Amino acid sequence: MDDKMKIMIVDDEMIVRDSFRHWFEKIGHEVDTAASGPDALKKLEQTPFDLLFVDIKMPGMNGIDLLQRIKADFPDTTVVIITAYGSIETAVTAMKLGASDYLLKPFKPDHLTLVMEKINQQRKLTSEYRYLKDRLEHITRFDNIIGNSAPMEKIFDMIPEVAESDASVLLTGESGTGKELVAKAIHAKSRRAKRPFIAINCGAVPDSLLESELFGHKKGAFTGAVHDRKGFLEVVSGGSLFLDEVGEISPKMQIDLLRVLEEKKITRVGDSLSIEVDFRLISATRRDLQREVAQKRFREDFYYRINVIQIHLPPLRERKDDIPLLVNHFLEKYSRETVKHVDRVSADALRRLREYSWPGNVRELENVIERAVVLARSRTLGIDSFPFLKSGPAPEPAGRTLQEVELAHICRMLEENEWNISRTAGVLGINRVTLHKKIKRYGLTPSFPSSE
Amino acid sequence: MLTWSIDPFGVDANVMEPIHKAIGIVPLGDLSPLIPKIVAAHIESYLHLDADILPAEDLPAVAYSRRRLQYDAGKMIAFLESRPSTGHEKKIALLAVDLFVPIFSHVFGESRQGGAWALTSVFRLQRQKNGSIPAPETLYERTAKVALHEIGHLFCLVHCDDPLCLMHFSGGLSDLDRTPLQFCRYCAQYLREAKF
Repeated sequence: MDDKMKIMIVDDEMIVRDSFRHWFEKIGHEVDTAASGPDALKKLEQTPFDLLFVDIKMPGMNGIDLLQRIKADFPDTTVVIITAYGSIETAVTAMKLGASDYLLKPFKPDHLTLVMEKINQQRKLTSEYRYLKDRLEHITRFDNIIGNSAPMEKIFDMIPEVAESDASVLLTGESGTGKELVAKAIHAKSRRAKRPFIAINCGAVPDSLLESELFGHKKGAFTGAVHDRKGFLEVVSGGSLFLDEVGEISPKMQIDLLRVLEEKKITRVGDSLSIEVDFRLISATRRDLQREVAQKRFREDFYYRINVIQIHLPPLRERKDDIPLLVNHFLEKYSRETVKHVDRVSADALRRLREYSWPGNVRELENVIERAVVLARSRTLGIDSFPFLKSGPAPEPAGRTLQEVELAHICRMLEENEWNISRTAGVLGINRVTLHKKIKRYGLTPSFPSSE
Repeated sequence: MLTWSIDPFGVDANVMEPIHKAIGIVPLGDLSPLIPKIVAAHIESYLHLDADILPAEDLPAVAYSRRRLQYDAGKMIAFLESRPSTGHEKKIALLAVDLFVPIFSHVFGESRQGGAWALTSVFRLQRQKNGSIPAPETLYERTAKVALHEIGHLFCLVHCDDPLCLMHFSGGLSDLDRTPLQFCRYCAQYLREAKF
């Protein structure tokens, strides 16, 4: 940022205006002057100023009134108050109203230098802060969900809309696509943001335990229940409940939860008293629940209850444009965590990372970058840092049927072993007669004379 | 050194005012005679310009402020510039009284960007912060630094960000003592190109 500023001196005394102007011109700043508050406001309407020196005591509009008008109408303009009266109360009032500093005239020349240095520092920090905030807000508009590809933009657009309502949300997508992050973002943008967000991985909790975790239990309800315990549905009160891997919930639990969603009441295990609950349900699954419903493995009524709004999270291979952004994000994160100066990925490696299919999605990418940073010996991660890329992409299978795959594999082995039948049979783990039969059946011929 | 400005369009040179391509040094009021000589020597060795010590003059009473008991540097420059030119295009007045500009408690020197007159006062340079008297060479060095800085402004140089340059602004004596007696290479180049 350029240190040179556009400055206005507002003072009714011409000699003061001239003194300031001469001094600032020697520094190379652009200086204008105004003899009164209204005059200064008129100039501010026409062109922006970085910094104003405003005298407190002026006929008509005084410096404090002018300061208030400037802070209301031109909040980006820095104001330094100047006063000849040395009243500390006026200076305190001015600072409270948003003045950056104050000067009691006549002041020592180095005092003005210090004030200018402080203002310059403030301007630099403000400008850097704004730039970084804009960048960060654009990239991570929703907590830590990173991306600016078209599919992610669509999701970013949906999140605030979905967050406004209280309808149940079902998040679908492969493992590692960021379903929990989206759930948290919906919670954070909703009116429930100040209440708890509780996440339960239904696939990781046995059915019997899940019931007590969700509904709570009464002391003595079962062996080991030595105290009354509130369930998550009670604890979440007013917040959002995130059921991850909702497809793993048993049919019995589905009925119990369906009742809770309809009646908004629960009964602790071993109790007869019902308690009112208030929560928003966000579920997630990597399964195709519609197919599970068709195959009667998932209750249809529960499915419709949890699937009022559905958001599908695309796999990473469908949003490859986000890969460089994600790589940079994880690189910064793990460089910071490991205190290692690793700040770039070679163009070649980045190209290969984009080409890779990422079956484990963003989670896999994060783990890969973490591993590479931990093992890195230079500040640049190259192809060598990603051993799985070296083998290249997995070859496409030669066909869909076993016969097609067998034919292609036999051909390749024969070529590799220069049609040496004994050696090829050994590699394939079959005897020579069987290999001969297969060659005959498939009508294979060598592209060069056989050595046998 | 006396030179004549030659009009390229053929106007008779004899009717033109002679222009001294030298800095005029004017002592104002009571001042040690050594001070103008020291400033002249520094102008010649640091700015590579001639320096002529001109006859001493009285302090202009019009610039005295009874309220502040100091001389108003702005008014003094305005007074000096209002008089007919003596032939030197750029002049520096040296004095031993305290100078101020309305916004500041004091200044060591004053000048206008591209102006004809600069001021340098030894009043605050001849005392240490604790009130004691500095060694004579300290006073001479401080005076030379302020004078060269103000003459820099006469040649349109602005304050320099480099704290090791004479054009860097020194608000106090400690700043002034820290500044070395040299221009940074950018200001030095600017001076070479800007001279007269």
